[in-house]
Amino acid sequence: MLVLGIETSCDETSAAVVADGKDILSNTIAAQMDLLKKYGGVVPEVAARRHAELIGYVIKEALDTAGKTLEDINAVAVTSRQGLIGCLMVGVAAAKSISYARHLPLIGIHHIEGHIYANRLSNPSLSFPHVCLTVSGGHNMILYVQDPQHLELMGSTLDDAAGEAFDKVAKFLGLDFPGGPVIDKLSKQGNRKAFSFPRPMKNSKDYDFSFSGLKTAVINMFKDKIAANAALPLADIAASFQEAVVDTLVTKTLRAVEEKGVKTVSVTGGVSANSRLRELFQDACKKKGLEVFFPKLSLCTDNAAMIAAAGYARIMRGETSDLRLNVFPNAPLGGLNEDENR
Amino acid sequence: MIVLGIDTSGYINAVGVYDGESVLADNRFPARTDTLEQIVDNIDVTLKQAGLELKDVEGLGVGLGPGSWTGIKVGVTVGKMLAFSAGKPVAGIPTLDALAYTAQNESLPVFAVIGAGVKDMVYAARYHFKANEPVREGDYFAGDIRELVKIIKEPVVLAGPNAGHYHGILNREAGLKNVMIITEIEPSGAAVACLAYLRLTRGQSDDPLSLVPMYLKESTAKVFVNKYAGKP
Repeated sequence: MLVLGIETSCDETSAAVVADGKDILSNTIAAQMDLLKKYGGVVPEVAARRHAELIGYVIKEALDTAGKTLEDINAVAVTSRQGLIGCLMVGVAAAKSISYARHLPLIGIHHIEGHIYANRLSNPSLSFPHVCLTVSGGHNMILYVQDPQHLELMGSTLDDAAGEAFDKVAKFLGLDFPGGPVIDKLSKQGNRKAFSFPRPMKNSKDYDFSFSGLKTAVINMFKDKIAANAALPLADIAASFQEAVVDTLVTKTLRAVEEKGVKTVSVTGGVSANSRLRELFQDACKKKGLEVFFPKLSLCTDNAAMIAAAGYARIMRGETSDLRLNVFPNAPLGGLNEDENR
Repeated sequence: MIVLGIDTSGYINAVGVYDGESVLADNRFPARTDTLEQIVDNIDVTLKQAGLELKDVEGLGVGLGPGSWTGIKVGVTVGKMLAFSAGKPVAGIPTLDALAYTAQNESLPVFAVIGAGVKDMVYAARYHFKANEPVREGDYFAGDIRELVKIIKEPVVLAGPNAGHYHGILNREAGLKNVMIITEIEPSGAAVACLAYLRLTRGQSDDPLSLVPMYLKESTAKVFVNKYAGKP
């Protein structure tokens, strides 16, 4: 079964063709990097306009790359829940039009559910139940994944997501956008123990996060150094900041693993591409005899292949959306019952 | 040639069908915030009402705006992806052109006006007619309704969803006496289909994937960035 996936929840216009929920025939991603650099982040209306401009070309490119036409496609899956409202709308409008014109089943997917499947696409041996840390510029949560249908949200960020903190600190330090890869690279030349930044909520008993205070601490320290005309050890600041973030993420995730008594950890979302996060998780999991899985780098950030994979699983379970499918920007995780998402 | 026309630039989903001789359907579904939810259903209902299915449609017309930014992003995306998926030719029709077409007058030029969502701000354009087809004169206008006083020098028809309201401002506050006829009209799917029919039968179709909404106004973020970068 060939599923066409469409993802436009934030700043990536993406379409993919995935066979049987596991073989990626294409995964076209048009990132809005030029706009992000210009505005220093995602501006919802600007991003939505770019989606409307690109969506048709991206879908065509995904079909061409897969060597398929719409006649070969068996179903359409689209991110309809969680994201920027105007951005989500473009993807859903495209998906329902294709579904209507080609008489194809349509399925709306929660963006976070997609990220869980990104890791399954990369690691077919990733088993259930497991604890999943999914973290990007837009979300930051720990989930207990009993199986793909049953997700328990254990905790999430109370303010900034980790990726957002990376972006904002990078912007303040005068580094490029997006901040994650830039800080990751710069940190390799720095001393991660040079500064002792706070690890907010690291030891709290819940599984929630807060990165806003850490971000402010870094920015205040940077301002003090400038005011004192002191040297600005950018690499050391970046490395110490990154360490504070990943240390907190790893510690809290492993505590959740302990509570649930599982042996498997899944780390996904844009920040799962961070090399220090991967290193710390691998070290800690090895010590505790746990298995940890990360998506391929190409599947860490937003992409439509993961949406197609999630869609395949739902369609196999007999679920579909009708042509009145709408978008739910703040939808909680869970079932397809759209009334509960309103 | 059977042409399906859609326009979601206003607070309605306008869906119509024209077959080259007569209008087979021309529906306006109220849609203040739920264009996305309704639009494909509304297309289906309209086609069925005309005794048709999408496969019977031989061409599409899509209202490009200006109007609601969300509305036109949804409508243009639906129009282009229907055309692409069903393999039908498509023509993008500016909504102001379609309003002028509906309000056409034998002797007077037509000013089509659409509210821009901010108080007294409008999108507008001036048209004369050639063989029943609107021909736009000059650029599209985006600005305060009162500025039209400088542009409207002769007797005209003022047409659009709130033409009466805008005429009131022009008349009371700006002393404009040149509006002879006020035509209160919402966008029409059939008008979009008629104009698309004329273009498509002349072989003037658009590449569906290239269709983009006609915003006529930059997003606020872009306006600010340009301002601080010293650009106009």
